[in-house]
Amino acid sequence: MQFPGVLANDDVSLDIRKGEVFALVGENGAGKSTLMNILYGMNAPTTGKVIVKGQEMTRFSPSEAIARGVGMVHQHFMLTPSFTVAQNITLGREPRRGVFSDLKKANAIVEDLVREYGLKVNPADRVDEISVGLQQRVEILKTLHRGADVLILDEPTAVLTPQETDDLFHVIRRIVREKRMTIIIITHKLYEVMAISDRVAVMRAGRLVGVEHTRDVNERALASMMVGREVLLGPMAHPPVVNAEDAPAVTVENVQVLDDRGLPAVRGISFQLRRGEILGIAGIEGNGQSQLVEAVTALRPLRGGDVRIGATSIRGLTPGQVRALGVAHVPEDRLKTGVSAPADVTDNLIVGREKQKQFSLMGVHMKRRAIRRYAQELFSRFDIRGAGVDVPVGSLSGGNMQKVVVAREFAFDTPVLVISQPTRGVDIGAMEAIHQFIMDKRNSGCAILLVSADLDELYRLSDRLLTIYEGRVTGEFIPSAIEKAELSYYMTGGGKEAEA
Amino acid sequence: MKRGHRPDYLLALGVSVGLALLLGAGIMALTGHPPLEGYQLMLQGAFGTPRAIGNTLAKAATLCLTGLATAIAAQAGIFNVGGEGQLYLGAMASAVVGAKLAGLSPWLGVPLALLAAMAAGGVYAWVPAMLKVKLRVNEVITTILLNSAAIYFCTYLTNGPLKTMERGISSGTDAIDPAFMFERLIRRSSLTESIFLTAAIAFLVWYVMRKTTAGFQMKLTGQNGRFAHYSGIRSDRLAVGSMVVSGAICGLVGMFEVFGLHGRFITTVSNEFYYDGMLVAMIVRYNPLGIILMSLFFGAMKIGGSAMELNAGIPSSLVVIIQSIIIFFMAAEQGIVSALRARHAQRKAAQTLRKEAQE
Repeated sequence: MQFPGVLANDDVSLDIRKGEVFALVGENGAGKSTLMNILYGMNAPTTGKVIVKGQEMTRFSPSEAIARGVGMVHQHFMLTPSFTVAQNITLGREPRRGVFSDLKKANAIVEDLVREYGLKVNPADRVDEISVGLQQRVEILKTLHRGADVLILDEPTAVLTPQETDDLFHVIRRIVREKRMTIIIITHKLYEVMAISDRVAVMRAGRLVGVEHTRDVNERALASMMVGREVLLGPMAHPPVVNAEDAPAVTVENVQVLDDRGLPAVRGISFQLRRGEILGIAGIEGNGQSQLVEAVTALRPLRGGDVRIGATSIRGLTPGQVRALGVAHVPEDRLKTGVSAPADVTDNLIVGREKQKQFSLMGVHMKRRAIRRYAQELFSRFDIRGAGVDVPVGSLSGGNMQKVVVAREFAFDTPVLVISQPTRGVDIGAMEAIHQFIMDKRNSGCAILLVSADLDELYRLSDRLLTIYEGRVTGEFIPSAIEKAELSYYMTGGGKEAEA
Repeated sequence: MKRGHRPDYLLALGVSVGLALLLGAGIMALTGHPPLEGYQLMLQGAFGTPRAIGNTLAKAATLCLTGLATAIAAQAGIFNVGGEGQLYLGAMASAVVGAKLAGLSPWLGVPLALLAAMAAGGVYAWVPAMLKVKLRVNEVITTILLNSAAIYFCTYLTNGPLKTMERGISSGTDAIDPAFMFERLIRRSSLTESIFLTAAIAFLVWYVMRKTTAGFQMKLTGQNGRFAHYSGIRSDRLAVGSMVVSGAICGLVGMFEVFGLHGRFITTVSNEFYYDGMLVAMIVRYNPLGIILMSLFFGAMKIGGSAMELNAGIPSSLVVIIQSIIIFFMAAEQGIVSALRARHAQRKAAQTLRKEAQE
């Protein structure tokens, strides 16, 4: 199978046995999803064949896959938010009474399914009112209801809390044991592979690097298979840089922020950030981190409280004015906020500097040559890989696009950096590089606020950690002094509200 | 800046124009007119005499200005559909100034009329821009509605309070001072001195859009407003500013009609001139240089088309048909090109695989 001009899967042969949990790992762009989309009939292979239960797939359509008992739960759920759980599960084959659908019967069907598979949901709840973990259950039940006994889960834990992940794994083990289901799980979290799978296949650059029994390998071995070389994602050295005498670089004081619907998202958060330290914010997504970051960078108005950069309050300032105070920002959503995808790499690297003397005559006439030279310099300094600085940023891979954002923001050499999800959807190679860039910034005396949904990342990089739950700080920790399990307890509302 | 995509795009444009002309020929043949002769007449009508050339250039100038007005707003992410109304108000404002200041030196009167036209058009564009920026009201709807408001308002003024007492003028305002009128450059053609102003404005708009930091910031605002805002660009201001400039240019087009041709405001001052320019701009995807060139092409088609109708009885609506077909093809262009590319890639990959299998 190819995307235009790209071999996404190159001569891959796999056999997956009934009743096993089969993990498929690889970096972004390694071809995992393409391979599974072929199995689920969303893409047809250019050459080669797929055989399910002894029969060759011919039409490569999802309906053929479903007929063969193959079901897929996508990364982004395909549910109708305003429908109930039962309506969603029976959608497309809903029980009818005359021309009306029979809601009572639908509920009964779902209750049967719940009993059979042990996946607890309430059939009458509206989907937009239940948690993400439950929505995922609804997706799984939907495929089971359609008679699937081969279930493909595409990065199922990306959106789950540690507790929900445990529950999901519990369910997976149960349906494999009791129903002899076959589970294929796509992931790039290696400890999950170790925790749940019987066998694991590693893909790199469209090719299958190896298929192993999980009990014969460890995380380290898998990581080097994925990247093709040794990777060291161990802890990083944190030479002390902070000077306790310094005035704080950022002061956040009882900050309150509303979300897009006008509901309180941040309900009184306070902390101080000093030069030379990384303050990590740990929390399940949707607990106010995004709004906190947007408030600190003036992208969202403060509802209450104050944020000071050095001694200057940002109340009433525009994002540009906050930048001028010395704040650079790597936003959580690079495609929506961090870049302009149709603009070329050069444009994306120069934004914010176009009026500087070296890049324009009197701030008006752009000096294209100097700009291009500067972009090329950043391009190589930050090891961005792609077809050069003249292609649209949107044509780069996620990791390289992120490097463009990091390069631009880090090159401002500001005393304060606000970084949100720096390595989301980024392959291990780029992740390694970005982590090193962040550490270098810290060691050179930058004050860094780091928000991430990836606990490993927070543990590697942070000097201090704040846990945040429902818009409040629930605890402050030194990463080396707290276990992840305990930290996630605070991230899910455990513990008392702590003084930060 | 986007050199990488140009060849594809130019090819598609060429093919679209070629196919449209071919289809036009087909229609002529079907209706019993020899196509070659038809196109020949069209060409002659557009360039055959000095007068024809003058008319073609004048038409192109109008298309070019209105097209650039569309493009400069579009660059900052605002779709100005209200140019027609802005044009009417500009024409009206300049006509009033030109009539009231009669007797003044043209060196004073004409610039004042110019300013009045730009102000009228600009203010009328500022309103929907502010509504969009402050209240997130869709500018397409407001500008369309404001068009009708402006046109009816001008019609009311022309038939009511500002109606001229002059004999033989059914619906028009008082005549402006004849000394204010633009000189004709070619006798009996509509080409006037305003072409020089047009050229200057076209150059300026191109320069701002392509070479300045403001144009750069406008481009980013149009591509991804959220990104622009995050980067510290005052995107709201830019959007409003570009819309006001767009409106001012439209106002000027109205003034050129009054001071070049009619000598007063008349209710038929524009025949959907703005929409024609808007289409030209859309065909070349708001590329300023493309607009200048494409205006010449469509200017020639329009002028040649009427000549063809007059001399051969081939309806000039053929020109509209050809124009629509080009737009149709250009709209489909992106889809067609990417589909062809995907197929090409598939075939190439299959070949590579087969070759590898043989080895």
